[in-house]
Amino acid sequence: MKRTSTWVASLALPVMVAMLLVLAGSPSVTANDQPSAAAAEVKIDNFSFGPQTLTVAVGATVTWTNRDDIPHTVVSTDGVFKSKVRDTDEKFSYTFDKAGTYPYFCSIHPKMTGTVVVQ
Amino acid sequence: MNEGILGTEAPRYADLVLLLEIGMGLALLIGSVLARRKRFRLHAWCQSAVVLLNFGVIVLLMVPSFQVHVSPRIPVRLGKAYYALATVHAALGSVAEIAGLYILLAAATNILPQQFRLTKYKLWMRRVLVLWWLVLMLGCATYARWYIPDWFRR
Repeated sequence: MKRTSTWVASLALPVMVAMLLVLAGSPSVTANDQPSAAAAEVKIDNFSFGPQTLTVAVGATVTWTNRDDIPHTVVSTDGVFKSKVRDTDEKFSYTFDKAGTYPYFCSIHPKMTGTVVVQ
Repeated sequence: MNEGILGTEAPRYADLVLLLEIGMGLALLIGSVLARRKRFRLHAWCQSAVVLLNFGVIVLLMVPSFQVHVSPRIPVRLGKAYYALATVHAALGSVAEIAGLYILLAAATNILPQQFRLTKYKLWMRRVLVLWWLVLMLGCATYARWYIPDWFRR
């Protein structure tokens, strides 16, 4: 009986600790989808890039800001640019010197995709 | 784009590792049942295969991922569940894997000197099995925190 109780306790305590850690959530932030032409911004929030498609002029610098509560990356599908892991409120910028369409994604969460169209 | 197979935000390798780890956890339970039924040779093969396979997964996939995503942010961001879960999972997982390898060495080989051999195999195997499943649950929690957004947002 005592052995059974010890086993149950040894399982239950760490599981409770894990659940508490999981439930320690953070508040979400609303994305802003209004980039300018010369210096545009993409916000990362709730596992998505906003705006998902951004159109800028040649020479514009796009800054991605992670407003999510977990880390993300910004990686060009064609290998043009690649950020390091960006945690909450961290930024990544890239200047687009050539016209074209630049699809990108988050390498941690590959379903997160976006596109920068440079005209 | 290397999308996963479980319908979450995870990349494919993370989904495969999760499924593999759950499979290995179940295999350890089956292995323990084999021991209770006195099928000791099968038990030895089953548990040894899991411990060695898991060692490969840790070295080839988990350690590199931890080095990129977690270790640069600790201890500063350990207050976030994202990092805390992964760190506790890694710490306890290391203990479980090392303990598993030790039992494997002690039980299946003559490499260890006499004074380092185990005397209470059952006790140690059971303890490691419990720890292993704890680590597995922590791994599932880490997966959920990293890749399932809807679970943590209101």
